[in-house]
Amino acid sequence: MSSGPRLFSILKQGPTLIASIHTALDDSQLERFREDLVDRIGRDRARGVIIDLAALDVLDSFATRVLRDIAEMARLRGAQTVVVGIQPEVAFVIVRLGMDTGSLVTALDLEEGLEHLAGATLPTAGPHR
Amino acid sequence: MEITALVPLVRRIVASRVRDAATVDDLVQETLARVLAAAGRIEPGMLEPYAIVTARNVVTSLWREQDRQRRNQHRVVDLHPSEAPDADVLAREDRDAVSAALRRLGERERATLLAHEVAGQDTRSLAAELGSTAGAVAAQLNRTRARLRVEYLLALEATDPPTDRCRPVLLALSSGDRRRQREVDAARHLLECGFCAGLSQPLVDRGRSRDDEIHVAVRADADVVAARQAAREAGARLGFPPTDLTAIATAVSEVTRNVVKFAEAGEAVIELLEEPRRGIRVVVRDVGPGIPDVAQALQDGFSTYAGLGLGLPGARRLMDEFTVVSEVGRGTTVTMTKWWGER
Repeated sequence: MSSGPRLFSILKQGPTLIASIHTALDDSQLERFREDLVDRIGRDRARGVIIDLAALDVLDSFATRVLRDIAEMARLRGAQTVVVGIQPEVAFVIVRLGMDTGSLVTALDLEEGLEHLAGATLPTAGPHR
Repeated sequence: MEITALVPLVRRIVASRVRDAATVDDLVQETLARVLAAAGRIEPGMLEPYAIVTARNVVTSLWREQDRQRRNQHRVVDLHPSEAPDADVLAREDRDAVSAALRRLGERERATLLAHEVAGQDTRSLAAELGSTAGAVAAQLNRTRARLRVEYLLALEATDPPTDRCRPVLLALSSGDRRRQREVDAARHLLECGFCAGLSQPLVDRGRSRDDEIHVAVRADADVVAARQAAREAGARLGFPPTDLTAIATAVSEVTRNVVKFAEAGEAVIELLEEPRRGIRVVVRDVGPGIPDVAQALQDGFSTYAGLGLGLPGARRLMDEFTVVSEVGRGTTVTMTKWWGER
C-alpha cells in the first residue's frame, strides 16, 4: 500500500509488537521511531516489544540511549522490551565504546526474543515485573 | 497530516543546504508540489519521511544542474567553441567573463597562455623564446590556467571577493595544490566564507580525480549517517575487517554528531593512507563555538547536552590515533586514524 521509503516497521502479533529497523536511521528518525513505538504500545495494548536491530550496522551512543529510553518508557507503560539481532561487530563496538546497556533485555534473534516474552508474559501470570 | 504542516520541515532541510533565499522558496514549492502529487499514493504516516527524501532529492538535482552548467562554462574557458545552439546571451556573458579574466592576468602570463592555447605553440619553443625550460613553462601555464579559472568565476559573479583571504584560497583550490591549501587553511575558510564555498564547487570538482579523499558536508542529522557510511565504504575498499569498519563508522558518527549539535557547519574528510602503512584518516572540522576545555571533553561522562557523554572519549577508544584541536569562538578539528591490522 505504501510506495514511499519505509525506514522501520511496527507489526502486531498477539500481545507483542515487533519493531524492525530497516535501514540506518539518523537522530531525528530514531526519535520518531521512539515516539511511534511508545504510542503503539498504548494503542495496541502490547505486553511485550521486540526491537529487531539485525539491519543496523552502527549503534552509537545516541542510538543506545534511544533504545534505553524506549525500554524504560515501555516498562512504565506495562510492556517488556527485548532487543534482538545485535550483530557481533556492533556488540564489540558497544563494549569498546563503554556504553552501559545493562538495563536492556536482549536475545539472539527474533525467535529467541518471542520465546523470552512468552515465558515472561504467560497469560496465566499475574502482573509482571 | 496537512501538507502545509510540512512547510517548516521542508524549508529547514532546503535552507540548510541552499543559501540563496529565492532558490530556497522555489525548491520548497517544488518539493511540496511533488509531495502533493504523490499524496494519494502514500499512506498519511509516510508523508513526512517522503517529504524529507523529496526535499533532499530536489536539492541534489539542483546541485547537479548547477554543476553541469559550471562544467560547460569551463569549455569556454578552455577556448573550445561551444556546440550548443542555444543562449546567445549566455555565450556573450561568458565571453565577457573570459575577457575580463584574461585582462586580470599579467602581460607575460597572458601572452604565453594565448600562444600555447590559441596559437598552438608548444612548450619547448615557448621555453626557447622565454629563455626557460619546457617544464618550467608547463608549470607556469598550469598556474596561469588556475588563476584564469578563478578570475573567470569572479568575473561571472561580477563582484570582488569579500575578504583578502578569498583569492589565495580559491587559487590554491583551482591549482589543486594541497600543500598550499593547507598553508592558507582553505578547508576552514570554505566553511566560514559563503562566497568562496559557492565558487569552490567547480574548482574542487575539477581536480577531484583523486578517489582516495572523500568530502562530506555536515550540517544536519542525515549528514551524520552519510559521513559514517562514506567512512565505512572507504574502509571496506582498504580491506578493513568488519569489526574495524563498525568501529570507524561509529567513531565518525559520534564526532560528526557533535558538529550537528554544537556548530553551524562542518565537514568530514575521509582519507585513505598508504604511508607509513595502510589506514584511514578522518578529519572532522567545524565552524562552531569551540571546546573551552578539551581535556575535560575527553573525559567519560562529560556532556553538555542530554547525551551519554561518550561522544569524544568513546570515539577515541575506537580509533588508534585521536587528536582534538579547538579554538573558542572559531571551531574544532578532530583528526582520527585507524591503522589496518592494529588491535
